[in-house]
Amino acid sequence: MTPLVVGAIVVLLSLAAFFVIAARRRGHPSDDIDSFRRQIDALSPEARRQTSERMKPSDGRSTDEDGANGT
Amino acid sequence: MARDLAIDLGTANTLVYMKGRGIVLNEPSVIALNRQTGEVLATGREAWQMIGRTPGYIVAVRPLRGGAITDFEITERMIRLLLQRVGVSRFTRPKVVICVPSAITEVERRAVTDAARRAGAADANLIEQPMAAAIGADLPIDEPVGNMVIDIGGGTSETAVISLGGIVALEAVRVGSFDIDAAIQNYVRREHGIAIGERTAEEIKVAIGSADPTPDENQAEVRGRDLMTGLPKTVILTPEEVRYAIEDVVSSIVASVIRCLSKAPPELSQDFLVRGMYLVGGGGLLRGLAERIERETEVPVKMSNVPLEAVVLGAGHVIEHYEALKGMFMGARR
Repeated sequence: MTPLVVGAIVVLLSLAAFFVIAARRRGHPSDDIDSFRRQIDALSPEARRQTSERMKPSDGRSTDEDGANGT
Repeated sequence: MARDLAIDLGTANTLVYMKGRGIVLNEPSVIALNRQTGEVLATGREAWQMIGRTPGYIVAVRPLRGGAITDFEITERMIRLLLQRVGVSRFTRPKVVICVPSAITEVERRAVTDAARRAGAADANLIEQPMAAAIGADLPIDEPVGNMVIDIGGGTSETAVISLGGIVALEAVRVGSFDIDAAIQNYVRREHGIAIGERTAEEIKVAIGSADPTPDENQAEVRGRDLMTGLPKTVILTPEEVRYAIEDVVSSIVASVIRCLSKAPPELSQDFLVRGMYLVGGGGLLRGLAERIERETEVPVKMSNVPLEAVVLGAGHVIEHYEALKGMFMGARR
C-alpha cells in the first residue's frame, strides 16, 4: 500500500469522524422531547414514593433535639 | 464501588442521603479546631455542643454563612470528614449532588463544587434548594400547575414557584433563622443589659419565639452576663418582647414571599389560592410564621410533613434518577 493510499484512507476516516461528531452535536428534536419526558416521569409521584420511603434519621436522634433547627 | 450521595450543605445542619439507603447523616454544620495546630477536634453535634464554651485554644465555627462558604479550607475539611463518616475513601469516589441557595454567585458555586471534589467526590453537581425542597416535599411539580415552596433555612430564605419541573419565579433573601437568633441576642443586650450566647438565643427562639401571637404563650427566664457588673444575671423575657425583637427579620421574609407571588404568571397564581404554599426548612418551624404569611398574603400556607429533611430527600431523589434528572442541575440546560 502506497503512502498516498494510506493518507487518503486517514483523510476519509477523519472526515467521517468529523461528520458523525457534528451530527451528534446538532442533536435531534426528538432527543430533547425524550429527555424532557424522562425528567417529568422521574418527578412523578410513583417515582418519588420509593425515595420518600427511604427517609430515616442517621442515628435515631434529630438535630432538632439539640435546638439547632435551622437548615 | 461507592454509592452516590446527595448533600444538603446547610448553614445550620448538614444532611447526607446515600443512594439506595436514605438519610445516613444529619448533623450541625460545625467544626471544632485547635487554633494553634489547625487540627480538627470535633465535627457535627459534638462540635456544636462546644460553641461558646471552648478554652482559648479551641475554636468551634460554622464554615457557612448565608448558605455560602465563608472559609473554603475549613469547609473542605468538614466535607472530607463527613464523606469519610459515610464510607467514602480514596478508592471509592461517589458522584455527589449538593443543594445550595439559588442566589449564590458563580464564585460561590465553584467554591462548593471544588470543595466537594477535593474532599473525595468523583463529580459534584449543584441543585437549587427550593427545587430540591419541592421534590422532597412531594409537590406535584411534574404537572403544569403552580407549586409554591418557601424554604427558610439558617442563613437564607427562598421562595419559588415551580411548574413542569422548572422554576418559574424565584425570590431569595440572605436572612434566616440565625438572623432571628442574632436579633434576640441584640435585643437582650440592648434592653436588659445582659450578654447571651448564640445557643441561648436559639433556645429562647425555640421556647417562646413566635412571628404572630399564639395560644398558650409563656415567659422565659434568661441567664447571661450583666454588661455593667460582669456578674451572672437572670431576666424574664416575654413572647411580646421576642416578637418585637425579631420583627425586622420576619418582615423581611414575608416581604420576599410577597415579591415572589407578584412575579408569578396569573395562570399559576390562581393555583396557589386552591393548593396553598408549602413551608419547609428549620426556620419555618417558628411558631406563628405560617399564620403570619397566610394573614399577609391571603394564600393558605401548609407545613411540609418533612420540613427539615425535604431538601436532602429531593436531592436524594435526583441521585436515584441521576440520568433522567441531570438536566435540573444548576447551569444545565432547562
